Formats: sequence, C-alpha cells, structure tokens
Amino acid sequence: MTVIKTEGLCKYFKDKKALDGLNLDVQDGVIFGYLGPNGAGKTTTIRVLLNLARPTRGTAYVLGEDIRSSRRYLREVGFLPDVPNFYNFFTAREFLSFMADISEVDNPKGRIEEVLELVGLKDERKRIGAYSRGMKQRLGLAQALLPDPKLLILDEPTSSLDPQGRKEILDLIQSLRGKKTIFFSTHILNDVERICDRIAIIKEGRLLLEDSIDNIKKRYGRYRILIEVDNPERLIDKLKALSQVRSIERKNENGIVIEVSDILYIQRDIPRIIIQEDLLLERWERLEPSLEDIFLEVTA
Amino acid sequence: MIFRLMKKELYEFLKTGKLIAIVAVFLFFSILSPITAKIMPDLIKSMSMEITIIVPPPTWKDAFLQFSKNLNQIVFLVTVLLFIGSIAEEKNRKTATLVVSKGVDRREWVVAKFVFYFLLVFLLLWASFALCYYYSVILFPDTEFYSSFSSSILFLIYITFIISLTVFSSSIGNSMLEAGGIFISVFIALNILNIFPSVKPYNPMNLSSIENQWILSGVDWSIALKPVISSLLLSLILIFLGASYFNNQELE
Repeated sequence: MTVIKTEGLCKYFKDKKALDGLNLDVQDGVIFGYLGPNGAGKTTTIRVLLNLARPTRGTAYVLGEDIRSSRRYLREVGFLPDVPNFYNFFTAREFLSFMADISEVDNPKGRIEEVLELVGLKDERKRIGAYSRGMKQRLGLAQALLPDPKLLILDEPTSSLDPQGRKEILDLIQSLRGKKTIFFSTHILNDVERICDRIAIIKEGRLLLEDSIDNIKKRYGRYRILIEVDNPERLIDKLKALSQVRSIERKNENGIVIEVSDILYIQRDIPRIIIQEDLLLERWERLEPSLEDIFLEVTA
Repeated sequence: MIFRLMKKELYEFLKTGKLIAIVAVFLFFSILSPITAKIMPDLIKSMSMEITIIVPPPTWKDAFLQFSKNLNQIVFLVTVLLFIGSIAEEKNRKTATLVVSKGVDRREWVVAKFVFYFLLVFLLLWASFALCYYYSVILFPDTEFYSSFSSSILFLIYITFIISLTVFSSSIGNSMLEAGGIFISVFIALNILNIFPSVKPYNPMNLSSIENQWILSGVDWSIALKPVISSLLLSLILIFLGASYFNNQELE
C-alpha cells in the first residue's frame, strides 16, 4: 500500500522553486530517508504533506487522501518538527493530555504513560520551559506517537542533538520498524545508512534518486581499493600505465586509494606488480561505496 | 472540539498568571470607582486650602461614570494586551503548527479563542458590575439599577467588538507586533470614521459615549440600536474573516 504519493508536486515562492515536479512514492511500513542539502526542499515537502502549505501545482496523496481536498488524514499522522516548540507553562503530562484531547486518543492516561516511558520522560515533573534540547526532541517524538499514527513524519529529528541524544532518538525510530511508516528528512547521512530502508535524494526541489540503499550502492558503487605498501611512489608510477586505473589518490604516508574500471583484472594485475617491484604489501582492502560518496556524486 | 480547545486557553490563563491579572484589574476598578466618586470632593477640597471650590455633592452617576471610564481605558487596554498575541504568537512560536498538524479544524480554533475570551470578559464584567453596584448602593442609596446595568450591557457589546477585532488581528498577523499593528490601524480608522455624520451612528466606537449619556440622562435604546446591531454584525464578520484567513494561511 502506498502511504505517500506525490504527483508533479510544485511549490514556488515568488522567484524560487522550492519544489519542482516532485514525484515520490513511499510504501507502507518502510523507514524512508528523505535526503538533500540545506535548502533542497525537504521541509517544504513536509509542510505540503501536512497541509501547512499549499502546492502551487500537482498534488500529494497521504494515506489515500488528496491533500488538496481533505485534512482528515492528519488524524493518522504524527509529526515531529525540526525544532519542536511547546507551551512552556505545561509539564510533559499536561501537554500530552492536551494533545491527546485534541487528537481524540482512546484511554489517554494510559497512552500518555506509554509514550512517556518510550521516550524516557516518565519521571520528569518540571515544566517544559526548563527542558534541554534533547528532552524537547524526545517530547516531540512522544506527542507524534501519542495518537498511535500510521505515518510518522520526522523533520531532521537528530540535527540538533549531541551524539548520545542522536543515538537515543535513532534507536527509538528503529524500534518502530515495521510497525509504522516513517518519513524521515535529514542531511545526516550516517543516520540514514543506519536506519532507513529506502531513500530519496532531492536537490533544488527535484527528485534525483529514489531506491533502496542496497540498490543505490550497487548502481553507484565504484570499484575502489585501498593499498598500503612500503614504497607507494614506485607503485603509483606503475599503476599510471594501466588503462583500467581511473584515478589514484594518496591516502596517507604509505596508502593509496585507486579507482578502477575492471575489478577482476586489477585484482590479478596489481599483486603481480607488487611482487615484480619487490614491494612489501601492508594492507589491501576493497572499499565499499559510502552513502556520502553517492550523495556527493548525485547532488554535484 | 471547541470546548477542548477552550480548556487549553483556561489552563494557559491559570498557569501563566494572566487570569489573576485580568481578574485583579476588573475587580479593583469595580470597587475603586464608587469609593473614588465618594471621596473625590473631599480630596479636591483638602488640596486647595486658600481658594474656595464649590464641588457638587457626589452621586451614583459619578460612581458609574468613573466605572465606565475605567472599563473603557484600563480594562480595554489589559484585554487587548492579553488577547492580541493569542493566535499570532502561536504562529510565531510554531506551537500552532503542532496543533493544526493534529488535524484540528483551524476555524474552530479561532472560534474557541474568541468564545473563551468573550466568556471570560462576560463573567468578569458582571462580577465587577455587581461589586460596583453593591458599593454604590452602600455609598449612594439612590443608585439606579436600570441605567447602570444598561450602560454595562453597552460596554459588553463594545468589548465584544474589541475582542473580535483582537482575534481577527491575531489571526492575520504572524507575530504579536504585526497583530498589534493591524489592531491599532483598524482602531484608528474607526475613530477617524466617527467624524463622518453618516457613519457615526453605526460606528462601534460610538458606544462608549452613549454609555455615559445613559448614565447621565437615562436609557434611550433608540440612539444605541444602530451601533449595537452594527457592532454585533461587525464582530461576527471579523471572526468569520479571521477564521477564514487563518484556515487558508500557510504556516511555518
């Protein structure tokens, strides 16, 4: 089942095209990473999906409803903004009680305790105004989860957190895998690699790529080998003569990274050169393409 | 849903001390007005030792003129200051985003704010009227109920219009400052319109002068009918426009 579908979605602000013919397809139960450099249109997409902004052209369907004609679907959506702001005079329980009230949550007291336990704020009694950034982020996640939504939309949920806070939020999101569809915008590629099933990369409001991480790595993966020898200069001279070698990059004192077009050929050829040149092989490692490399390549 | 949203407003007023502020202002001036009216002649006499000033003996009319003046100045100001940021500041602080992304009907939200403020002022006005009347009767046994009560009804209609203008301004503005700017612009424009004889009878700004007239010369509904009807109609139109605007507004 398709949870989010956008069809030629456009959003223009005066002279700026924030979204330009965006076509997205997010299936039920996946953790969907929505990537893009700053200003790519990630937050605008989320604002349109949540009916906080109207599309200039095109439309989107969320949980089967056309966002232009309905807001009912919002009852099934949980949303965590990038910097969540709350009513500071409330305590977490009071705030969640209000949110449960307007979301018409069944058994609100029990549900509030459940989500507070889940985000680790069960014992907090102070007013929200005194919360740290990380605590606010966790409370934001609690209010998003409160109505037990089918779809969770998280706008850069980890961008302002320290490593410990980031880990906690990511673990929490990961614990929801398979239970909910999670649309997760970020520019932190490590987070995406860690928890997402599928990703989309956008730039200047246009979709550049959408697929599973494995498929993307296969498609964009380049053959790269890290070699460390006692005299890399001699090896570099020999490698320059090989047509299969696309590029050579010095990594450290003894290491080089080479990118090649034919991995099988090179895996036979280079060891032969090393033996002929009487070099001492200290390290040989085939490098996996990282999402960062792919991201930089796609968005370049 | 409107009731649920109003509960949050009540909670906010309780937790932030806004309720204490508005209750204190209403009640303070309701007690102070008849007392001030009573002691004012003695105060004036005691200040000028050398000149003989003839001050007419105070009446209940002085007490209620004082009450009306305080309502129209201080209570008006406090009401506007407390309510002007109601929606605009929620947009500015992005708490509105959290609420409307839960699927809350935006028009209901605007109506809930208006109804809550109206009920609050309604209750406080009658409580303060009751207090003012009670002290007036003690100090001036001939206090007229009908005139004083009717003039307070006019103030209620006037302040209802002001609340609707406040909520309207707050629905349109994206911050307290913007909302305040919109409110002041409309308020000044309405006061300027009072110079046109054809507009004046329908102008809500005219109500406060009729209040005083009623206290001084007795109730005459014929002069108040036009501004009362236009104020109530304009209040409905302002709430409708504010709710419609906010319903279609893009939020951050």
